[in-house]
Amino acid sequence: MNKTSNRFRTFYLSLFFVILYIPVLGVVLYSFNKSPSTASWTGFTLDWYRDLFNDKVIIESFKISIKVALLTSILSAILGTTTAIISTYVTSKMENVIRGVMILPLLVPEVALGVSLLLFFSTLNLPFGILTLVLSHSLFCMPYVYLMVLLRLKEIDISIIESAKDLGATRWQVIKTILLPLVTPSIITSSLLALAMSLDDVVISTYMSGPTSTTLPVHIFSMMRVGVTPKINALSTLILVGTFFIVGLSQLLNKKSNQ
Amino acid sequence: MKKNLKIIISMLLSASLIFSLAACGKGEEAKEINIMTWADFIPREIIEQFEEETGIKVNYKEVASNEDMQSLLEASPDQYDLAVVTDYMVDILRRNENIQKLDKDKLPNFSNLNPVYQGQYYDESDEYSFPYAISTSFLLVNPEAVEELGANPITSYEDLWQEELDKNLVVIDWSVEIMGLVLKTLGYEYNETDPEIVAQAKDKLFELKDNIMRFETNTPEDSLLNGEAVAGFMYSNQAVKGQAANDKLEPVFPTEGFPMYIDGFVLSSEAPNLDYAHEFLNFILEPEISAKISELTSFTNPNVAAQEFLPEDFKNNIMLNPTDDIISNASLYIDVDAVLEEYEHIYSEFKMK
Amino acid sequence: MFNKEKFKQNAPAIPVLIWVGFLVGLPLVFVIILSFLTRDDLGNVVIKFTLSNYKKIFDPTYLKVFFNSFLLATLTGLITLIIGYPVAYFTANLSPKKRSLSIGLIMLPFWISSLLRTYGWIILLGNTGIINNILTKLNIIQSPFNMMYKFSTTLIGTAYMLIPFMIIAIYNSVDKLDKSLLEASYDLGASKRQTFLNITLPLTLPGIAGGFTLVFIPSLGLFFISDLLGGGMTLFLGNVINSQVTKGRNKPLAAAFSIGMIILVLIILYLYGKLTKDKKGEGLF
Repeated sequence: MNKTSNRFRTFYLSLFFVILYIPVLGVVLYSFNKSPSTASWTGFTLDWYRDLFNDKVIIESFKISIKVALLTSILSAILGTTTAIISTYVTSKMENVIRGVMILPLLVPEVALGVSLLLFFSTLNLPFGILTLVLSHSLFCMPYVYLMVLLRLKEIDISIIESAKDLGATRWQVIKTILLPLVTPSIITSSLLALAMSLDDVVISTYMSGPTSTTLPVHIFSMMRVGVTPKINALSTLILVGTFFIVGLSQLLNKKSNQ
Repeated sequence: MKKNLKIIISMLLSASLIFSLAACGKGEEAKEINIMTWADFIPREIIEQFEEETGIKVNYKEVASNEDMQSLLEASPDQYDLAVVTDYMVDILRRNENIQKLDKDKLPNFSNLNPVYQGQYYDESDEYSFPYAISTSFLLVNPEAVEELGANPITSYEDLWQEELDKNLVVIDWSVEIMGLVLKTLGYEYNETDPEIVAQAKDKLFELKDNIMRFETNTPEDSLLNGEAVAGFMYSNQAVKGQAANDKLEPVFPTEGFPMYIDGFVLSSEAPNLDYAHEFLNFILEPEISAKISELTSFTNPNVAAQEFLPEDFKNNIMLNPTDDIISNASLYIDVDAVLEEYEHIYSEFKMK
Repeated sequence: MFNKEKFKQNAPAIPVLIWVGFLVGLPLVFVIILSFLTRDDLGNVVIKFTLSNYKKIFDPTYLKVFFNSFLLATLTGLITLIIGYPVAYFTANLSPKKRSLSIGLIMLPFWISSLLRTYGWIILLGNTGIINNILTKLNIIQSPFNMMYKFSTTLIGTAYMLIPFMIIAIYNSVDKLDKSLLEASYDLGASKRQTFLNITLPLTLPGIAGGFTLVFIPSLGLFFISDLLGGGMTLFLGNVINSQVTKGRNKPLAAAFSIGMIILVLIILYLYGKLTKDKKGEGLF
């Protein structure tokens, strides 16, 4: 790539990130606003941060959200990847069936899925809590992993696999030493996506959480009757700062270890 | 095939791992109750005080609507002890047998309640529920801004139809509320089913469209605070918040009448912890506790004995503590379910116009 | 690929099908059945067969809702594609370390509740929002400029919420692009533009198709963005389905709308699969 296109690339990406982060900065800004309403700025305060640390409900629901999101992304990474790999081994008819089935969770509107899963799980007598949350979240996260991994699998040169087989590799060996390493980047990005989607889900979680397992988004939505407080903005700011810190630190460590 | 088995086994293993993880959280029989309602509707402070005094743990399931509570109570009645729902939902839950009668012997504080809010259509002999929080909805107006637009002062719903108010109103986003507003403007009741009256209301409603700049159920007061609207039809707790942020905003109780909502505690039909649940209910009915709840949540207090514990500015706030005169003009939405489908359809048509 | 007995070949897929089929298939069947049932005057579902829920969908008002949602979803897909493609393309061409930083930056906002990020747009675009504040302070405008509660506001919010799906999908397919093909193209004297149009674009088509699917479908079902940014001024499918379950207490009608939406998506995907069908048959779904 030459210099001008490099410069354009940097410009475009920077502009994109600025726009991407402006609404987020709005959220951050209003965590310091005296007034609890977003309608006006009435002065700087740190009170919401103090209140946040005294609010066990928010902290607890945040912990539950993280727990659910981590388990969900692991489960959907395993299931999604397995399905994608399996689908390359089956007959093409079966492959189409799998595709069709995997798109189902994306097709059914969340409310419909939530209400029906509620009835379904209560018939099975499953206790509503982390289990039902993870099961239901992985349903709508798994297709994303499947899709991203499949996209990459399709591009793998068949001749590599054929020659590996000629050299006597078993199917498991082919999967372990050729396929998995090749699809790992897709697994990582799509599990990050799954993580974010699980962290953000509110409709299905409303029906799937039990009395002791309110997730953060459910907490925020059910606050609306009484009013969403800027404590939530404060928490979001801390999440952002924390993640930035971790990302920055890992970059720094990477650099050092490279030297 | 062996390799396939490996894949299957690893999948099963991961699934069972999740199952066992979840099972850990279940725990054995404990001294606890499960409550369900909107977040912060029962303030945390109150719950903590109860937990400290009695040693009973309170699990608080947070939901965003009455209908969600209905679905959850229907699907797993044994997971919940108590819920706080709005009047019409008490009616539905009672008629569907999702809730059970309260044991008043265990509620000595029951007599503290204000009879004005009792004996309502949804529970005529007060067996299934008792009022926890009272609210109304009315107009919050910015009189200066109305004048600037050249419109007449707003004192009734009818005034909302003035041409000068073009794109200057914010209203609650629910068919029942908006149809109710129009019906009251025309001098009818909330649950009119007569097709002629409904058609008349529909025409009147459609004339309002141009004046509405936003439908908002959760933070309508913001629109008055940031100046994008000059008047709003909103719930009392929102109007209280709006006025607290800008004292130029004034409540207007429309002369045609306005809706009132009674949120009450109900007991799930299969509540597992009956005794503890009643203990909690009795605690809620204690005068000082009840007063503190009203203060923290900005809802009108239905507890006579609690009145002396309410702070002065709460008592003097006409929105939080409306006079009997004002309240006599308020009414509940009765039997809306019979007309809901029709109203919803008109409302959709109205929005898509 | 493997010439074995069909059943043996397909056996590994069975657990997956059972898993998803059970957890999504059953609810789907439930929704289908529900859509033919009746609602009584209490809002309860009664087991009485009816077609009236489907008749309602064909009411002009609701047809307009379908059209509105279709328009929103298509425009969202196009906007996220136009903005997201260069982002994905440029990101894939960064050095590995910068690349993961870029992906990280794209994902990071999504750790914050989408409801809050929607409020973030209100803070930005509202009457007393950041933009209006700056413009009035600079005396460019006298009174606040109304940017809220329009179709376009909803569109911006929806595109903002869904753009990472587009970027990640395209990124995945740009990333695995065989760089030697591009070099060969340059060696043969093709310009940058020609190379892009003849090689890069066709080869990343599966990614575009995947991204479009991942953006189009959810944008039909979102509801609070149009409530908050669109001011509830018009209805979209997501709103109608949600409010029929809650405010309208009419689950059968909501179910019929859900089925209508699913059929709409299937038609779109089918047409779209026909249009973009490349030789490898990677229509994605």
